[in-house]
Amino acid sequence: MSLLADSAVVETARALAKPALFNIYFALASIPLGFPFALALAIGRDSRVKLIALLCRGYIYAFRGSPLFIQFFMVYSVMLAFNLEYWKPLGIDHIVLHPLFLGPLVLVLNTAAYGAEIFSGALKAVPSGQLEAARAVGMSRFQIFRSVTWPNALRIAWPAYTNEVVFLFHATALVYFTLPVIDNQKDLMNMAGELFERDYNVFLHYSVAAGYFLVISALIFWLAGLVYKRLTRHLDPQARTGMRMRPNYLR
Amino acid sequence: MLDALIAWSGGAFGEDWAARLSYLTNGKHLAWYASVRFTLIAAFAGAAIAVLCGLLGAAALRSGLAPLRWLGTLYITMVRGIPDVLFFLFFPLAFEQAVEWVMAQRLCGAEVLASSTSWPPCQAAQWYLGTGEYLALACVSLGIVYGAFAANVINGAMTAVPRGQLEAAVAYGFTQRQVFWRFQVRQMWIYALPGLSNVWMLLLKATSLLSLLQIQDMVLWANRIGAPNYIARVGTVHGDWRWRYYLALFVFYILLTLVSEYLFRRLSARAGRGMAIG
Repeated sequence: MSLLADSAVVETARALAKPALFNIYFALASIPLGFPFALALAIGRDSRVKLIALLCRGYIYAFRGSPLFIQFFMVYSVMLAFNLEYWKPLGIDHIVLHPLFLGPLVLVLNTAAYGAEIFSGALKAVPSGQLEAARAVGMSRFQIFRSVTWPNALRIAWPAYTNEVVFLFHATALVYFTLPVIDNQKDLMNMAGELFERDYNVFLHYSVAAGYFLVISALIFWLAGLVYKRLTRHLDPQARTGMRMRPNYLR
Repeated sequence: MLDALIAWSGGAFGEDWAARLSYLTNGKHLAWYASVRFTLIAAFAGAAIAVLCGLLGAAALRSGLAPLRWLGTLYITMVRGIPDVLFFLFFPLAFEQAVEWVMAQRLCGAEVLASSTSWPPCQAAQWYLGTGEYLALACVSLGIVYGAFAANVINGAMTAVPRGQLEAAVAYGFTQRQVFWRFQVRQMWIYALPGLSNVWMLLLKATSLLSLLQIQDMVLWANRIGAPNYIARVGTVHGDWRWRYYLALFVFYILLTLVSEYLFRRLSARAGRGMAIG
C-alpha cells in the first residue's frame, strides 16, 4: 500500500516537473525588468517634480490596491482590443498576445509597484551620517547614489525584496487562470487540475503541486540568504543579524 | 423609478445620455451590480473567520505545549509557502470529497464500495454544490489562508504589549487568566490593527478569485457582458468591450482599498485613544 502511494506520488511529481518550469520561467522573466522598474518608481515617488511624483504614487497605489487577477484580465483584454488596429497589421500579434509574453508583462507591472514601496522605504533608511560624509568629501550626486545610497538601500531592502520575489513566484499560479494555454504549455495549476479531473484524487495532485511551490520558495529563500550574507560580509558579525527566514509575511 | 431617471436625464443631458443610462441599467448590468454582494459577503465572512483562525493560531503559537506550538508554526509556514489560489481551489474540492466519502459509507452498498472505481462510488453519494455552498466554502478557505497571516500579526501584537503593564496587573493580584483577557488581549488590538489592516487588504483582493469556484461574481459578469455581442437579426451590437468592464473592476477595487484605508485609520485612532502610541 505504501509502495503504491509512493509510486503515485512519484508519478504525479514527474508529471508536474515540466509544468513547474513554466512557473519558474514566469518569475525569472519578471525579475530583471521588475527590479529596475521598481527602483525607478521608488526614486520617482519622491521626485521634486510634482507631476512625476504624483504619477509614480498613483501607479504604485493602483497596482497595489487592486487584485492581480483583475490586472491580468484587464491587460489581456486591452491587448486584445488593440489587436486589429495595431498588432495584426504589424504582424506581431502572436508574440504580443502570447502568454509567455503577457504573463511576465503583467507580473512586471504588479511586482514593480510592490517593489517600489520596499525600495522607497530602504532609500529613506540610509544612514544620514554616511550621506553627509559623502557630501563633505565632495562627491557628486551620482557618485553619492552609486557608492553610498544604493549599496546601503540594497542591503536594507534585501530581506523584504526576497519576500516579494517569493510572492511573485506564488503569483505565477494565476497566469493560466486568465490567459489561454497555447501549445500545451501548462503550468503547475493547469496540470494539477488536469490530473485531478482524471482520477479525482484531489489530495495527491494538489499536495504535490503545493510541494513544488514550497520547495522552490525555500530554494529562493536559501539563495537570497547566500546573497544577503555576501552583501553584509563587511559588517561586524556581532551586529549582523541573520536573514530572517520568515519576514513580514505580508505583501 | 429607473424609467423616471432615464426620462429625466434625457431631458437634462440629451438623448445620448438617456440611451447610455438605459443601457447601463439593463437587466444584465443590474445583475452585474448585484453580484457585488458575493464579493462583500466573502470579504466580511472571510475576515471574521480569519480573525478567529488568527486568534486560535496565535494561541497555538504561544502555547505552553510544544506540539501545539509546532502545529501553529506548521500552519503559518504551510500557508506562507503555497499560493493562496492553490489552497482556494484545494479546500472546497477536498471538503466536497470528504463529505461524499462519508455519504458513500452510509448510502452505497458494501459491494459497490469495494468494486466501484469512479467517484463518487454510487449516485446517491453525489453532493451537488450550488452557489451558496461554494460561497460558504470560499469564505472558509479565505478565512483559513488569511487566518495564518492574522495569526502572525496577532502573535506579534501580543508580544508588543508592554511587559510592565502585565507585571503591574499581576502585582495587583489579577489571576493569569484575568491578566491574559483583560490586559494582554484588550491592549493587543492597537498593535495588531496596522497588520490586520494589511491582511484585510490582501483578503479583499483575493475575493476576486470567487469566479474560480463557479460563483457568478463581478468578474464573471464583466466577462459575460463585455464579450462581443452578435445577434443574427440585428448584426453586431457591440464589439469586444471586455476591457472597459475590467477597467471598471480595476477602479472599483482601488476605491474599495481607499475606503478601507480611511476606515482603518478611523478605527486605529479610536482604538488608540488614551494610549501613548498610535
